[in-house]
Amino acid sequence: MTQQRLPGDRSPAADVARMIRVDHAGEYGAKRIYQGQLAVLGRTDKAETIRHMQAQEQVHLDSFAAMIARRRVRPTALLPLWHIAGFALGAATAALGSRAAMACTVAVEEAIDEHYRAQTARLGEEEAALRDTIETFRAEELEHRDIGLANEAELAPAYRLLSAAIKAGCRIAIAASERV
Amino acid sequence: MIAAVERSPERDAALAAALAHVPFDGWTMAALRHGLRDLDAEPLDAELLFPGGAAGLIEAFADRIDREMEAAAAALDLPALRVPARVRALVALRLRLLAPHKEAVRRALALPGRAPAATRALARTVDAIWHAAGDASADFSWYTKRAILAGVYGATLLFWLNDHGEDDAATLAFLDRRLAGVAGIGRLRRRCGEMLARVRPAAAA
Repeated sequence: MTQQRLPGDRSPAADVARMIRVDHAGEYGAKRIYQGQLAVLGRTDKAETIRHMQAQEQVHLDSFAAMIARRRVRPTALLPLWHIAGFALGAATAALGSRAAMACTVAVEEAIDEHYRAQTARLGEEEAALRDTIETFRAEELEHRDIGLANEAELAPAYRLLSAAIKAGCRIAIAASERV
Repeated sequence: MIAAVERSPERDAALAAALAHVPFDGWTMAALRHGLRDLDAEPLDAELLFPGGAAGLIEAFADRIDREMEAAAAALDLPALRVPARVRALVALRLRLLAPHKEAVRRALALPGRAPAATRALARTVDAIWHAAGDASADFSWYTKRAILAGVYGATLLFWLNDHGEDDAATLAFLDRRLAGVAGIGRLRRRCGEMLARVRPAAAA
């Protein structure tokens, strides 16, 4: 760890286990959000864009799932909740129109960018491979945010309110998935 | 997984020495101090080595058997077997490793106050068995698999304690019946999935 550890702090291994658990949960949720959006917007001109993003999230998810098996990390017990909540969030925002769906993407990806940035800052040289993986994924999440902005996310109804609510939800989901 | 058990050569040596006294003194710090005296080590180190007390000693014992099981599993050619056969082979292997310590296992499970330590040890053991069996699930089946195996393994262990035969034939027959029972869960799940797919083709994807 790059930061000084104090007695009673979590061990580096436990810390990394938490990171992998929450990242796996996050990518699972992201995949479900895009699936929810596709359930509504599957036959519109946005479908190709959303499918592209969903495919990338699937790669991220597979990569974290492999880490869970290899490093013997417990996946979060909240997966069934994210299964439903992710899909519901995607479908509900998509029902408000494609701009609201893109606003949802922007908000989620911004929250994830912030979260990944905090993680890579905590990972030291002994976890360089994991840090690089997260860094790669973070770049792709930012690409999704830019896609959302290019698709008029900011013109969505009540953009600020929607964005703030979704980001708060993401932060709660992150805190819960690290622990449970 | 549940917080890992601390592993060190000092703890392993102290545990091995204490095991000789457990059948007489039970899982107590007295047994550990006797063991440390046998090793010509300082008996007052008992609390330093095992700050969790007797419960920590039990968890360290279960963890040592888990490690031995994982090491011995490499020689079993498990990938050639189907998953239920792998689980059966690993449980049988673990019981063989526990055989010299049958009285100690009985003593560990004797007191209700040991239930939290026993539960943690059981959780680590079923995780070790699934890992050795090559399970790579990262979805909710991670939990259901471990819960089902905890039931099967726990029942088998209790049966084994009262199996006084020379070999573990009766216990293994018991294990086979339990595994056959839980195989029904998988069959039921598949059948439900097929039925669901017939009603709603998109759900199969």
